[in-house]
This record gives sequence, C-alpha cells and structure tokens, in this order.
Amino acid sequence: MKKSYSLLLLFLLPISVFSQVNGNFSGGFESNTQWYLNDKGLKDEFNNPTSRPDEPLRSNNYLFVNYNYKNWSAGIQGEAYEQNALLNLNPKYNGTNVATYFIQYKSEKIDVTAGYFYEQFGSGLLLRSWEDRALGINNALRGLRVIFKPTNFISIKSLYGQQRTGFDVADSKIYGADVEFDLKTLFKFQTSDLTLGFNYVGRDEKLDLPDQKFNNLTNAFGGRISFSHNTYYISSEVNYKAKDAVVQLNNQVNNRLVKPGTSILINTGYSKKGFGVDATFRRLENMSFFSERGAKGNDFNDKIMNFIPSLTKQQHYNLANIYVYQAQPSVFLAERELVKAGEIGGQIDIFYDIKKGTALGGKNGMKIAFNFSNWNALSGTFFVFNPQDYDTDFLGFGKRYYTDYNLEITKKWNNKWQSSFSFINQYYNKQLVEGTAGEINTNIVAAEATYKFTPTKSIRVVGEHMWADYDKKNWASTIIEFNANSKYSFYVTDLYNYGNDLEYQRNHYYNFGGAFRKKTTRIALSYGRQRGGLVCVGGVCRNVPESSGISLSLNTSF
Amino acid sequence: MKLFVISLFFIGLNLNAQTNLPDVSLTNLEGKKISLKNDFSEKDKLYVYSFWATWCTPCINELDEINDLQKTWKKEVNFDVIAVSIDDARTQKRVKPLTNGKEWEFTILLDSNQDLKRALTIVNVPYTIVVKNNTIVHVQNGYVPGNELELFEKLKSLK
Repeated sequence: MKKSYSLLLLFLLPISVFSQVNGNFSGGFESNTQWYLNDKGLKDEFNNPTSRPDEPLRSNNYLFVNYNYKNWSAGIQGEAYEQNALLNLNPKYNGTNVATYFIQYKSEKIDVTAGYFYEQFGSGLLLRSWEDRALGINNALRGLRVIFKPTNFISIKSLYGQQRTGFDVADSKIYGADVEFDLKTLFKFQTSDLTLGFNYVGRDEKLDLPDQKFNNLTNAFGGRISFSHNTYYISSEVNYKAKDAVVQLNNQVNNRLVKPGTSILINTGYSKKGFGVDATFRRLENMSFFSERGAKGNDFNDKIMNFIPSLTKQQHYNLANIYVYQAQPSVFLAERELVKAGEIGGQIDIFYDIKKGTALGGKNGMKIAFNFSNWNALSGTFFVFNPQDYDTDFLGFGKRYYTDYNLEITKKWNNKWQSSFSFINQYYNKQLVEGTAGEINTNIVAAEATYKFTPTKSIRVVGEHMWADYDKKNWASTIIEFNANSKYSFYVTDLYNYGNDLEYQRNHYYNFGGAFRKKTTRIALSYGRQRGGLVCVGGVCRNVPESSGISLSLNTSF
Repeated sequence: MKLFVISLFFIGLNLNAQTNLPDVSLTNLEGKKISLKNDFSEKDKLYVYSFWATWCTPCINELDEINDLQKTWKKEVNFDVIAVSIDDARTQKRVKPLTNGKEWEFTILLDSNQDLKRALTIVNVPYTIVVKNNTIVHVQNGYVPGNELELFEKLKSLK
C-alpha cells in the first residue's frame, strides 16, 4: 500500500504544477446502484423464493479524471463499491479506493506510459488488458510501457507490469514486446495493404512445487499477417504458449499434466458496395492464460491475461441470449465422456443490401444479414487416468459444442415505419460446454417494428418466441419502448418461461423503467426481475443469480 | 483514501472546461493508422464522431439514418462523419462487410482496445460527439429515432 501512495504522490505532483498553467481537464463518472428486494413470486428450481442478500443496497461507482498538457497527460480512476459490489462481482472489489493512475508522454515517435495501462497484442489471444465494468473486468497492467516508431512503417512496443486484481496486483511479472511492420508504406503499394506483426509475452510466477516439471517463466510467441487487395482481404494469426502446468480446476497447480498451447486464427472476406461476406476459422488448444496459474477456473474473470471471445454472432434479442456459447480454450479431462482440450470451428457472415427501386427493395431498400457458426471439441486420444495425457488431431472435429444459424431482414417502409424480422436456430451442448447435463435445440423467431409519430416521438415493439426441447423449454418475450422525445424514454419488458416443466418455475421476468438523457448525461431507473444465468459482453460471460429489485444508473462525462 | 476519491469527484463536478479531442491514432479498414488530431483538422469544419458497434442496433439505426440524409445536409453544412467502431476482436471482422453491405459513406475507424472510448469516458454506445477545430463542441449520449434531426439543427448552429 505504501508503494502505491508514493506512486500516487508522483502522479499528483505534475498535476498540481500543470494546473497553474493552461491545461485541459476531462473525465467521467458512472454509477450503478441496485436495491435488492425479497420476491416470493420468483422461485428457483427447488421452489424457494428469491431473498435479498445481507446488504441489499449496493452500488458500483467509477470516477475518472484526466489531465492533459501539451505532450503530457495523466489520469486517475477512483472506484467505490459501497455496501459491497453488485451481486456476483469479484468480492475483491470492496470499499472505496484509488484503482488506477497513469502518466504519459506522447510525441510522434515515442509514447511512454508509467502507471496503469491497457494493451492488446494482435487480436488479444496472448495478451489483452482492458476494462469492462459490466463484467467486473479491469486487468490493467501496472508498470511501464514504451511505444517507439522509428519510421512511419515500424511500430515497436515493449512493456513490463503486474496485473491488476481487485484494488491490488497479481503475484507475478508480465513482460511483453510487439513489433508491427506496415509494408504498404514501405513498398509503396497502390491497391494492396500488407502488415506483419510479431509478439512475445512472458509471465513469471514463482512457484515452489517439489520436483517442479515446468519453468516459472512461461514464454509465449505470436505472429500475424494481414493482406488486402482491392475488395478482398485475408488475415491470419498464430500463437504458441510454451510448456506449462495444465490447471483444470481452480487453485490446483501440479505436475500431473504439462503441455504447450497453440492457437490458429484465419479470417478472409470480400466486400463491395451493397454486399459483404466474411469467414473465420479458429483452432484453440490449451490456450487459457492467467497471471497466476491457480486463477484458472475462477468465477469472476479475475487475472485473465488473454482475450478469447466466442466467435458467434452477438445476438441482441433477449431469448437468443439464454443459450450463449462460451469459447472453450481449456483442457479438462474429467471422465471418458467429458474430455476437452480446446475448440475448432468457424463462422460465416453475409450482408446484402437489396437496392432501392427493385421489386423486393421497394422505395427504401431492404437489408439482409445471415450468419452461421459451428464449434466442436478437438478430436484426439485422451487419457483420463495414470498418467493423464492427450494427443489431439490437427484438423479433427470432436464432439459438437454449438451451432447457430440466423437470418435478419430489416426494412424501412417509409419515414414512419421500420420493421425487422429474425429467425435463429441454435444447438447448445450444455453438458460439454458447462460440464453439467443435456443438449438443447432451439428455434427463435423475433419481430420488431418502430413507428414514428413525429420526428422525435416514436414507439418500438418487439415480440419474440423460443421453442426449446430441453432444460427450461419454451419462452416468450416482449418489449415495448416509448420515446416521448429526445430526452425521455420509457420501456416495459417481460420474458415468460411458460414452457417450463416445473410449474412453480414458469416465471415472468418483467422490468419497467425510464431513462433521461441530456447532453453527456444519462440517468436510468428501473424496477423488475433479473433472469439468473450468464450475462455476456463481447463473448466474455459472468454468471449472475436471479434477483429482484430497483436499479438506478447514471453516467456523465465532463 | 475515501476522502481523496470524494474530493476528486467534486473537482470533477466543478470542471466545465472545453475539452480537446485526445491525441489518439486509430486504424482504418485498410490497416492504416489515422491520427485524429492531424487527419481531421480542416479549419472550422465540423467532424461528427459517432461511436458504434456491429452488435448495437440503435447505433446502426442512427448511422443508417445519417447515411440517407447526409448528402442533403452537406449542401448546407461543411461536415464529415467518422464512424468509430468499438468492436473488439470478437466482432471486429464483421465491420468491413457490414459497412460495405450497408453502403455507408463514412470514414470508418477501429478503436480496437477502446483507447479512445476510455479517454472520452464513454460508458455506452451509441455516443456522438461533434468536434470543431479539435475541440468537442457537442455531445449526444445515446440515440432515439429523430435524434439525427436535432443533430442536423445543431450542426447548422455550429457552422
């Protein structure tokens, strides 16, 4: 703690000096407050009503202030979790404290940051530090980063730091370097682009296992290439993580299984005005990477070093977010029927715009989006006992985790009416993905219409239905949103699990609320029930319990 | 420590300074680095930065509307729209086919690890700022149908 006070002082000193001169302050504030209530009508699978937690009034607050003067900038973020953080957030987020701070010098050629910083190498499969408040993720690195651009076609980054966890840092050291070449600029290509990148990430976590069979320092290397020519593009990324203890359950670090990890990502596409197609392939094997090995399997996305999103369409309909795929980078050898060493699969997107003035397009055109994704486990030979081991096939598809086909058609009829229609078909192997039981097939239809009474007064109505053959079975959902003007909006939603086999669990998850917006500020107040399960942002998920209550959120910037 | 954070908060509330656009470089769809400060610097021209994501329906509605209207608007006001995608590695590959499929006539930039979003303390998209001579002169937090018309009125008053 003492150390961070002196760092803080270092940070405040330049601010107080610069404030005398003509600088530039900016910042923002966000607050999310929840008042949890008892709810006799909301039953869990054992027929128990939902009861509020011990501290029913909880609030997450974030304040960020930034100061800028010529080439210098400095920032600080304070966070307050008062009467505790919102339910199921990392319990290390507790009380009020300074969370992150930095000071940065930036010119054309050099950019130096000391303090906490965020960074991503390539697509983040080896290193990404970022902030996602809804998920309780802030894995900023505390240390030093230098970005150097000796010429206009080379960029070199190097960094050293410790990763943030709660209001503290993890017990390891992270080293990283990344170099990127822009060959278009170098070779003066006219119609093509070509970039190359290489990176290194090292994690040094001192362990003291008897007869330890792996190094404390784990090295990982990656390379990437991206090429485009006129309307075609292709990119690829390959990563290798050196031999390291394979951790299968939280806090169980041992010598039983020591393996390297690999990942391959290929993306290609073609697009022109009115038409676009994009395809991605990815293979992951043993790629989970944490700043402390034992953190694997924790429930709070704590100490994650890399970003492995599920490559599926991020659906915006409520019912399409009940069975959400979570990427499967990890090794888990539990029993013969439950063995995983990674994932293999891909997705395709097609976007098409039917032109105005054609038979289907009508006066305003029509937009069509199609997406397909499929993910399987890696096939191979797996030994669950004595000794544990596995050997995967390079291009072998094992058991299926997930499939999703979906089609969305959006049509603007005239200045007053717009509507869209979606069909989604999903397969979700709950047993294999979550390690529980069952496989689920769903069909979802959703229709949405917006009507404008006046240019700024409008109503939006959404209806959704899901047929599911297992688990909680059928659902229906609706949203009615009324935008009174550009400042006030109100909404009512309900998700109704009418098809549940357990009668007492045929719950309504209703919510109603309103929002007020003015310039940089938005305030929203709502009352209702939260469906338990996964809440996902950007392919990373957090499990939330069922709850009921009032919530108030506010955000503003200055 | 608590006191320190609270006092920071009040300092924040009392600040009313005109904010400059942060000096950040983002990549465009061709992989080229674009400097906000140097590449969008025509004197007195209005630059509309609209923050969006491929998974954000209101964002796409807003940009669809502006795309349909901007030709008419440009007869009256000298402005450009820069659509800044905050998509991360999960959905970023969808940006290029989506924007081409929709025939958007904007400059598209990628804020891959959300450096610009963070620097401007943007909590949610859609979020739109108007910049003139490197200074933020207008902010719109969120979008409901019809906001684009107010934006146009604002642009006319700022020109």
